[in-house]
Amino acid sequence: MATQWTRRQFMAALAATGLSVPMPGLMAAPGGKAITRPIPSSGESLPVIGMGTWRTFNVGGDQHLVRERTEVLKTFFESGGTLVDSSPMYGSADDVMGEALDTLNAHDQVFAANKIWTSDGGATREQDGASRRKWSIERFDLQQVHNLVAWEPHLETLKQMKADGDIRYLGITTSHGRRHRDLAQIMEQEPLDFVQLTYNVLDREAEQRLLPLAKERGIAVIVNRPFQGGSLFRRYQSEPLPGWAAEAGCGNWAEFFLKFIVSHPAVTCAIPATTKVKHMEENMGAQYGDLPDEQQRRRMADYVAGL
Amino acid sequence: MTGVDWFSYSLSDFLMFGPEVFLRLFVRINQDFWPWQGVAVVMMLLIAGFLVRGDKLAKRAVLLLLAAAWLWSGAGFLLEYYGPINLPATWFGWGFILQAALLTVAALVWPWDGNAARPARRWRAGTGWLAMTGLLPLLMVAQTGNWQAIALFGIAPGVTVAASVPCLLLLPRRVRWLFLLLPLLWSVFSAATLWTLGTRLVFVLPVATLTLTLVSFWFSPRPAQSPD
Repeated sequence: MATQWTRRQFMAALAATGLSVPMPGLMAAPGGKAITRPIPSSGESLPVIGMGTWRTFNVGGDQHLVRERTEVLKTFFESGGTLVDSSPMYGSADDVMGEALDTLNAHDQVFAANKIWTSDGGATREQDGASRRKWSIERFDLQQVHNLVAWEPHLETLKQMKADGDIRYLGITTSHGRRHRDLAQIMEQEPLDFVQLTYNVLDREAEQRLLPLAKERGIAVIVNRPFQGGSLFRRYQSEPLPGWAAEAGCGNWAEFFLKFIVSHPAVTCAIPATTKVKHMEENMGAQYGDLPDEQQRRRMADYVAGL
Repeated sequence: MTGVDWFSYSLSDFLMFGPEVFLRLFVRINQDFWPWQGVAVVMMLLIAGFLVRGDKLAKRAVLLLLAAAWLWSGAGFLLEYYGPINLPATWFGWGFILQAALLTVAALVWPWDGNAARPARRWRAGTGWLAMTGLLPLLMVAQTGNWQAIALFGIAPGVTVAASVPCLLLLPRRVRWLFLLLPLLWSVFSAATLWTLGTRLVFVLPVATLTLTLVSFWFSPRPAQSPD
């Protein structure tokens, strides 16, 4: 049977084999080779910076803002990003994402991640289908149980959907550091491809149990709230970057916060959300250049804690 | 989810949009409705005029005009504009339509009794109401710095509710509570939303409405001292 490759899969395969070279127009990246991480369950490479849509893509029918968000998404793709994560919980975000993908004709470029968010354990396929139609895609690459809501029946259905080829990966999410004990238990018992959790330079509880467990179990980790919902900028943006930040590969606070996260060996990618093209460009800078080593990571955390 | 988990949530966890998207709702509806804002202004003037007139027919007319304002802001702003980004706004949209139906029933079937208040009091009520309803829309202009964001009575739900509560004092206390329930719920919802969005200027509106609503549950205007 002939295998049809999408452009994104083709590019990912090239990157994985080391054959990828910067191609203007295809990957107008900030410079150098994008930092990628393999998904443990398949070996497929993912760029370390993805994009979240929480509170940013829920703009309803506001065409002015839809155009602005489309520009943000365009910048994300042009900078070498692929993974976009959304949820039916985020109001009109799925509709707006579908509109933006249509405008950019970028359905083949996106690694589409979504969530199942309903207490009706029997509505997994129905909600997946509703989100798929909004995105105008044949299937989601990754479908996740949102915030552990009715996770047992949803996960069972997602396993079947993966076996049927209706999704490529399955996962489960939490945020704000909630229900980590439950999540750890699920990670120990279930065959997950991905987990999504909150981790940033201030919220580091995941380092204790969840990140080592993900590494041990071969589960990819998506990190949400990398800027603590924007509060890291509000608290620290007026402060100077440390003189040694450039040695750690960081040219601004966005890169500082994001590189701290994606340099953790268990993390696969972080998914910052933004409404501004300029901020997207800064975020995507974290996908290039050097990553801090373990010693530098400790120094980064100490520096922020001391401010 | 345990009770402890619920306590770990903050209001901002339930808000799926930012202040820019919310404030632009007012600009968008004004752009789309132009030039029908004139109808809202005429409704305001008519209500003020009927409050000054103060007879039974005028009271019925005030309630009918309020019903039209609730219907317009509910079906327009809440269901068409706000609902797609905030699910509870859709529920309130249907609530506003129900309130409009209740006001219509009250206007048509309520057997008004008693005399009209003194002319001076009616004049103060009408002009005071008009001044309040004319100034409240400017809060949104001050918040956004954009005249196109003006939150007019009959279009914007917050101003519609705030302007309706004093008019509901026309109804006797034994039935008034039924009409104050939705203003109460709306004020709490709106205050929580605006506080979380950090839009401090317009936050004043639901807080003032909430206070006025709570007072209205118990307040009874003095009976007329003499007939006209």
